[in-house]
Amino acid sequence: MAIKKGKFVIEGLENVQINIGKVIEEGAERLIEGPTPKPGITSLRSWDYRIIDRYHPVYTPTSDMCDYCTYGKCDLTGNKEGACGIDLEGQSARQALMTSIMGAACHSAHGRHLLHYLIKRYGEDHPIDVGPSNLKAPLTETIMGIQPETIGDFLPVLAYVEEQLTQLTASANTGQEGSARDFESKALHAGMLDLLGMEVADIIQISCMGLPKAEENTAMAEIGMGILDQGKPVVVCVGHNIAAPAYILDYMDENALFDRIEIAGLCCTAHDMTRYNKTARIIGSMSKELKYIRSGIPDVLVTDEQCVRADILKEASELHIPVIATNEKITYGLPDRSGDSVDDIIDDLASGKEKGALILDLEKVGELVPRLAMKVSPIRKEKGITALPDDEEFGKLVAKCTKCQQCTLDCPQNLPIADAMVAAVSGDISQFEVLHDKCVGCGRCDYSCPVKIPVLNVIEKGAQRVIREEKGKVRIGRGQIGDPEIREEGRNLVLGTTPGVIAIVGCGNYPDGTKDVHDVVEEMLKRSYIIISSGCAAMDIGMYKDDEGKTLYEKYPGRFIKGNLLNTGSCVSNAHIAATTIKVASIFAGRKTKGNWEEIADYVMNRIGAVGLAWGAYSQKAFAIATGCNRLGIPVVAGPHGTKYRRAFIGKPYKKDDWNVFDARDGSTVNVEPAPEHLMITAETFDEMMPLLAKMCIRPSDNSLGRAIKLTHYLELSEKYMNKMPDDWHVYVRSEADLPVAKREQLLKTLETEHGWKIDWDRKKITEGPMRKVDVSFQPTNVPRLCKEVSK
Amino acid sequence: MTRDAAVKTVDTTRRAVPFDTANIPGPKMAKPMMPQVAGRMIARARRPLLIVGSEVHDGDVLEKVITIGKTGIQIAAVGNAYKSLGDKGLDVHYMNMHALSYYLCDPKWQGLDGKGGYDLVTFLGITYYYASQAISALKNFSKTKVLSIDKYYHPNADMSFGNLKNDIFIAALDEIIAELQKE
Ligand code: SF4
Ligand code: SF4
Repeated sequence: MAIKKGKFVIEGLENVQINIGKVIEEGAERLIEGPTPKPGITSLRSWDYRIIDRYHPVYTPTSDMCDYCTYGKCDLTGNKEGACGIDLEGQSARQALMTSIMGAACHSAHGRHLLHYLIKRYGEDHPIDVGPSNLKAPLTETIMGIQPETIGDFLPVLAYVEEQLTQLTASANTGQEGSARDFESKALHAGMLDLLGMEVADIIQISCMGLPKAEENTAMAEIGMGILDQGKPVVVCVGHNIAAPAYILDYMDENALFDRIEIAGLCCTAHDMTRYNKTARIIGSMSKELKYIRSGIPDVLVTDEQCVRADILKEASELHIPVIATNEKITYGLPDRSGDSVDDIIDDLASGKEKGALILDLEKVGELVPRLAMKVSPIRKEKGITALPDDEEFGKLVAKCTKCQQCTLDCPQNLPIADAMVAAVSGDISQFEVLHDKCVGCGRCDYSCPVKIPVLNVIEKGAQRVIREEKGKVRIGRGQIGDPEIREEGRNLVLGTTPGVIAIVGCGNYPDGTKDVHDVVEEMLKRSYIIISSGCAAMDIGMYKDDEGKTLYEKYPGRFIKGNLLNTGSCVSNAHIAATTIKVASIFAGRKTKGNWEEIADYVMNRIGAVGLAWGAYSQKAFAIATGCNRLGIPVVAGPHGTKYRRAFIGKPYKKDDWNVFDARDGSTVNVEPAPEHLMITAETFDEMMPLLAKMCIRPSDNSLGRAIKLTHYLELSEKYMNKMPDDWHVYVRSEADLPVAKREQLLKTLETEHGWKIDWDRKKITEGPMRKVDVSFQPTNVPRLCKEVSK
Repeated sequence: MTRDAAVKTVDTTRRAVPFDTANIPGPKMAKPMMPQVAGRMIARARRPLLIVGSEVHDGDVLEKVITIGKTGIQIAAVGNAYKSLGDKGLDVHYMNMHALSYYLCDPKWQGLDGKGGYDLVTFLGITYYYASQAISALKNFSKTKVLSIDKYYHPNADMSFGNLKNDIFIAALDEIIAELQKE
């Protein structure tokens, strides 16, 4: 008899009622292949300890104090204990946990909002369709041990994430966890949950909303602050959640409004708008938010969730731009007009009676926003409303600068603003054009200027020429990497003949402008790395053109093979980048995935040369993603601002025992080269980051051809950007076959003279020196139970 | 600048407030320091290390760092500093600043050349916020003494210059050089 959902009473036990809410299909339990389906907060602790024992948590506190509870403030300087007994190390680790939890909660709550909405619209039984894949939800399968088939199957997944996040949050209360090591294990757990929440969010929107399904050649979307026709009404959607913008796009489609209204997005909502409807466009990352509002171009701002400036209502209302808030997480004290008629709301907003409205009825948002834009736009355009000064005012403002440097002290980038002001007084505004790219658009300088110069507005006015030219192209987010692509490329990755996968991810808090992201991608594409991007970084890659007017997306195709440039999509599409490594482990190496996190992560760490670059990461979400990737064995490099996350995972190559692994064939211990050397680290500059990326793609499993290719890039990038051979290149040489062919003889000489290695010059062979030999069948693992002898 | 002018004392203890306004770490902040004090401390250290970062490339600063390096102090070139320092005949080694700040907390680390740890760490020419974060690790998790001889006040160091105008900064480096050359 098949069991159905419902209530049952057992005969003879009339007082006992059994409720069946969800029926697990026959065989579903049998899918579990590993020891940790639905891991609790300590289930993967031993794996976390393995990570932490090699990649030591490094704390760089921004504050030496703790003010979490009313015992405090406590001074923890010098790792002293506070009143509750926590020391600075523990407190720093607790902050790492809280940061990861916040990020994970953000993505998962985004997924929860979408799941409610999509189930209501399409039903629980709507099938998952992500493109040509059997492994449809790699993170879900690896973490939960289930294979979801419908969007309703994600209900227990999100319930699990939410329950775990509550448990983790509880452990951060004063008087709970006190060990830094266990805080870190919990932070890694939160990071993993973050990956899971993101996967749910993106898979359900791909499945239900017609977003591209692992398509390699999606259309190009326009990007930049200069793309919109300012003569038309302009709608700008800000945030990350496609639900509300989708209704607006549908309404515009149904009413043929695309020729009459300009619609674009800021931050990840923009990616998902273009994935939903190719007509939509992208203004840029969060660092463009304040700049674009101040330009006065938007006639209506629509907010959903994440990466929305806390002062957006204040800024918008000063320029008579109505704000429509569409998500319960960001409501700005606005009146809830969800139940009111569209006409009434439009009247109140167009007349300026209200600054904005909270509207949670998304269908209403769809109709209201385009109509409101058409009504408000002529009024705003006639008045020519903008925060930017006109030419005359600009001249007066720059002349007012006293060169006190207060703005530079307050600027997170410490930009030389006064120099630009001085140059502008003598008619040279070019320095403002440089500042515009380096400025992250935070507005702190406005508050700091003692003579009340609106500094950001002055910079933006001075940079109008480059802003007008800011027009690029981004290949629309493709979603996952399909199984066939993995089948084709998996071998190259594991053997190292494709030098690595570099995931260019994160936000726009770059240390030296957006151009760096373009430049790293271009260099690495020329070197045949696979570049996968997502989020704001994916946007910035498309902002620059070559001499023929082409962006990198137009020059390089989007397949998952060497030398290609892929955009997976928005912030939640980051999940697919991490999941790609699971797919390689499963499809190429036949590893079991379901409920088998540790084995998969161990495989990824030892064999897949993938590294994340979060050059401009600013948010808690970015930290959670990085921490989740770390638990999956993927190292991450961040820009210098990343030190303000306060925790990194840094390896000690000089501590030889840290680099012992087992050979899974017999359980023997092998001392290997430090690869990957770190799990999370920062670089100060672009030059330093380039060879570091190449080094972080080296893995113990590389075959000789692969190692030679990886070393070639490591050496060349170090020589090109740092004017030197790396100090540690020889550590990665196991035999002469590992040496780059073009330089083999010269490198053998260096090994002999500088490192004392013995070379048989007749045979051109290394006879003594390397820490280990190449062994093509070597099966490196950090997990003893995965060794044959031990498991017997 | 003439040698006489170079050794003229400049006051580097003024404007000893964090260069990033909000960078106030806690009750313990660096003591403002005069250049002669820095020079003497470096000169007397058993095994000092000078850390130099990506702001070293400008002519005057570079010249001073090279002169300091020529007095024999070992240099950790962090960021991309090696590009300007590598070919100057100095005892200079590339190192990642984030990793270095951690290795310096490890009593078992044998230094950049494998010859042992350092008893005094001095730095300059590093992106302000980056240096500040990195040395917060040293401040809280090591016993190493840290001096900032950069043109910014660094609260996380044990002793630091205040926020300096460029000419004062260069003059202060000259004073340090004079002290080192005395020894
Ligand atoms: S808005 Fe730009 S210039 Fe102003 S403080 Fe922020 S980053 Fe610096
Ligand atoms: S704070 Fe104002 S007056 Fe001072 S340097 Fe900056 S722009 Fe000029």
